[in-house]
Amino acid sequence: VAEPTREELRPRLRTEPSLADTVVVVRGGPAKARQLTTHAERTHKAFQLDGVPIWGVSVFAAIDDIGPASLDGLLQRLWSYRVVHLPTVGQLADAGFPLLPTFARPHFTLRLTTADEIEIDRLVVALGPENPNRYHWIKR
Amino acid sequence: MEATVVTPDITCDLMDVDETDLVWTFLSEARAPDLIEPGALVLAGDTDASAVAEVVDIVDKPAGKVVHLRLLPGHIEAYAALVQRVLTD
Repeated sequence: VAEPTREELRPRLRTEPSLADTVVVVRGGPAKARQLTTHAERTHKAFQLDGVPIWGVSVFAAIDDIGPASLDGLLQRLWSYRVVHLPTVGQLADAGFPLLPTFARPHFTLRLTTADEIEIDRLVVALGPENPNRYHWIKR
Repeated sequence: MEATVVTPDITCDLMDVDETDLVWTFLSEARAPDLIEPGALVLAGDTDASAVAEVVDIVDKPAGKVVHLRLLPGHIEAYAALVQRVLTD
């Protein structure tokens, strides 16, 4: 039996209620096609779901009103990003990008069907405009 | 003013965390893999977003060697300022 060349994600999925469409999703930016492609390919190299290699990029969802999983908490966590993209779960779903609840809350893997130019360009559009991160480079 | 070019020691997505809740990337994405060892301080990320990080460990995964990184607070300029302030001849 051949050894798997990717890690299986199924055991890493959290069991939790689906996110409401209005929940804000945070992706550090700027969303550049080249870098998103690199990130999606890294995921593809590392992981499979139910035996099938997947493409995806990491996002965090602002699940809570306060604390580390709130929008403010996530912006603080992502202080190294000058700008962030803040689409909602509904906007991403409408664009055909489901979210897998992977690893520790509030991390999600935004799933792509592939990492070709068309798909990545669709993702860039779906992520929406850049928003300044007020916590960028705050000296602590 | 000219913009400073930041060249990370190891390329990664700073939002890629795994079951350890640490940032992960492949060892093969390091500019100089020999520098990547537990306890080493490195600059991780890409040209748009980077952070000083501690190498926590290097583990064997099905797709290759994976490096776990703990992101440290503060921009690299703060570390440069610290070194400049405290080191004297």
